[in-house]
Amino acid sequence: MINRKKAGALLLVLSLTAGLTACGGSEKGTADQSTENAENGERGTVEISIGRQTTANPKFPEGDSYEDNAYIRMVEEELDVDISDAFEADSGDDYNRQVSLALSAGSLPDMMKVATKDELTELYENELIADLTDVYNNYASDYIKSIYDSFGGRALEDVTYDGKIMALPATSSDAGPGMFWVRSDWAEEMGLKVDEDGDRCVTLDEVKNIAQAFIDADLENTGNVVGMTFDSRMTTNTSDTPFMMNAIMYAMGAYPRHWYQNEENELTYGSVTDEMKEAVALIRDWYEEGIVDPQVGTRTWDDITALVTKGQCGIIFGSWHTPDWLLNNVYALDNEAEFEPYVLVDENGKVNCTHYKATGEYLVVSAEFEYPEIAIEILNLIYDDMVNSDELLEKYPEVNTYLNTGVDGTARPFNMEVKSNTYLLDEYAQLKAALEGTGKKEDISTAEERSNYDAIMAYREGNEDVTGWCKIHSRCKGVDLLTYLVDKDLYNWISPIYPETTTTMETNWSNLQTLEVESLIKIITGASDVDTGFEEFRTAWYDQGGEMILKEIEEQIAE
Amino acid sequence: MKVLSRKEKTQARIASRRKDTLYYHGMVLPGMLFLAIFSYLPMMGLIMAFQDFVPAKGIFGSEFVGLKHFKYMLQLPDIGRVVRNTLIIALGKIILGMVMAIVFAILLNEIRLKFLKKSVQTIVYLPHFLSWVVLASVVINMFNIDGSVNQIFSAIGLNKVNFLGSSQWFRKLIIGTDVWKEFGYNSVIYLAAITGIDPGLHEAAAIDGASWWKRVWHVTLPGMLPIILLMAAMNLTSVLSAGFDQIFNLYSPVVYEVGDVLDTYVYRIGLVGRQYSFGTAVGLCRSAVATILLVSTNKLTKKLTNQSIF
Repeated sequence: MINRKKAGALLLVLSLTAGLTACGGSEKGTADQSTENAENGERGTVEISIGRQTTANPKFPEGDSYEDNAYIRMVEEELDVDISDAFEADSGDDYNRQVSLALSAGSLPDMMKVATKDELTELYENELIADLTDVYNNYASDYIKSIYDSFGGRALEDVTYDGKIMALPATSSDAGPGMFWVRSDWAEEMGLKVDEDGDRCVTLDEVKNIAQAFIDADLENTGNVVGMTFDSRMTTNTSDTPFMMNAIMYAMGAYPRHWYQNEENELTYGSVTDEMKEAVALIRDWYEEGIVDPQVGTRTWDDITALVTKGQCGIIFGSWHTPDWLLNNVYALDNEAEFEPYVLVDENGKVNCTHYKATGEYLVVSAEFEYPEIAIEILNLIYDDMVNSDELLEKYPEVNTYLNTGVDGTARPFNMEVKSNTYLLDEYAQLKAALEGTGKKEDISTAEERSNYDAIMAYREGNEDVTGWCKIHSRCKGVDLLTYLVDKDLYNWISPIYPETTTTMETNWSNLQTLEVESLIKIITGASDVDTGFEEFRTAWYDQGGEMILKEIEEQIAE
Repeated sequence: MKVLSRKEKTQARIASRRKDTLYYHGMVLPGMLFLAIFSYLPMMGLIMAFQDFVPAKGIFGSEFVGLKHFKYMLQLPDIGRVVRNTLIIALGKIILGMVMAIVFAILLNEIRLKFLKKSVQTIVYLPHFLSWVVLASVVINMFNIDGSVNQIFSAIGLNKVNFLGSSQWFRKLIIGTDVWKEFGYNSVIYLAAITGIDPGLHEAAAIDGASWWKRVWHVTLPGMLPIILLMAAMNLTSVLSAGFDQIFNLYSPVVYEVGDVLDTYVYRIGLVGRQYSFGTAVGLCRSAVATILLVSTNKLTKKLTNQSIF
């Protein structure tokens, strides 16, 4: 114990010292800059320091680096700036720690991305970031504005504090429902029709029967097939996270971990509704019948990945892009493996789905930085001109090469996406046309989709490469299914409210989350009764802060 | 006059001793500096427990809120359960761990073959040097439903048990695996205590016709008693920390009820939820309890054996 405390204290001391030094450095920087500026009379070459998010294998050509690559050179030349990196850190914990450190020190790089709304709020409250309202209105291109507008105001509202735009949000477009991915090679071998009527939709009963059939057959002779299993978090507040129960619950009209207005127009928390109770009861039945993994709740993400990879489990629930980074492991071990996605429908034959939170990451500009408009100019350059202007790419052929050879997106000054809410389906339509011969590869607007086209064509010619397999699954099956849902008008969209962290949430939310996961897993595994267990959970949830939080969110909405 | 001269004598003696011991003080100095920098200085951070600490404002800028976080801690709905789990698991580990180590030390001391003794010692020390991150996956592979333990169970006709997801088994598993990991290493100090016992006592007892059991009971154990009590006093200070890395790597929501301990709870609330002040408050409380326990057991030891740590 003493050791851990010591380590914690040491960390604190270190971070404080680091903070102090960082503070000193930055003050000096601004002083230099302003004198230089005064001498030049106008903007001149502006030095910018950026917090950079990196990745282990960015695939740079020889000699290029994060500080000096094609994108950076283009931005430096076009905007007459000089970019240097305040810090470079890998995505995830490493990067977030750097941001926290900068926050603790109260000294930010001129521009950086922050990954949570709480951090953004903290930055605003500590007056560390610049107000971007005027520069956004004056400098942002029409295209950029149209992207943000495609989210119907949800994108910019999220970064608006007291009527001021305090950050540029990265967009996150709707990804549709968590799909029901089935090992179609198994089904075929068993002569099993997953989707008899061919409408690409399955009911809960069909899901159950398929799982049972897979368990009985045990095609890979593993001795212990798991019908279906779920991560120990069980549900998430995104519709399509893999290994979650969301899809099953959505099909029963329950939207766990989401806040939304119900049919009576009352603010509701999805995990405590009657529909949720029924959904949990159903999964409990499946657990008792052995269709749901007997070890559910203790399985980690990696455990489940291993089960699927080893052929012990032929059913997973997850996003359209699951094949790209998760199911690829299955193909790597067994290149006979094939998956087919379906969607779960409710009793009316509709696919219930929740809208994503329109934004999730934010680009902020330090309050001390003199030219916040440069941030907008970079945005225009990378997310408008680079996408839409052929002249720009002709002027900078090396950028074009980057796009075509798949150099990682972290190479851009800001590692974030600014794309319209429907980009996924729009880009797929172009890809599909090219694949079917009704369009041309050159007409595909994005480099990513062009390289997908190449990979798919090569796979069809028999190169057996995993990339081709992935892209066929994620695009020609996954996104194709999403397109189908729109075409056939099968969606029933729920628009959740994504509240800001309230006062009670700050203190009680971790507790309530624990309560939720623990109570529900107990019901599912039979450790507590459905009726009494769920009522106890619901009462406890309201008592331990849920009721307060509902009130606080209502106040937020009223504002 | 007499009194004064005695005083002078004492002063002279102290002066000469100072010179002799200067050397030793010099040797202690680096350790003291280390302690000051890494243990005493960081205690300043405890101020956070009485503030609403905001990293950007720092310790000097954050608002003081008195005992708010301590009150909040006591109001938490799960605090009773968490403290109970911590006490059960920690006490289980301390008691079983000590008993195993002492028994093992006594038995090992009886082995006369030097080669065998050394190899047994090395084998039981080994797990101590592996981190729980590694051992947890070993434990999971052994004890999950498809694991080797359950395969043995089903081979001899017993029902399979989901050890890691069972309220009845989880604590036992935690305590058992921890004792297995640490008992060998902990027995080192008891071995030293046994070798410190005057062999004359054993010989005398043997001549008087005492059996091996009697000798263990009346000679070895009483000889070890001061060390045993000392170790108990030291171990008791950790009664509120049941081993974060072990439990964190093995638990899941299914067994929160029996496996969630202070460390894991504070981790989820304090660190994941970024409530630094609250985390500090819990840490401070724990240190206070540990200090009280250490001082009182030390007093008790002093009364019982006339020996003490300080």
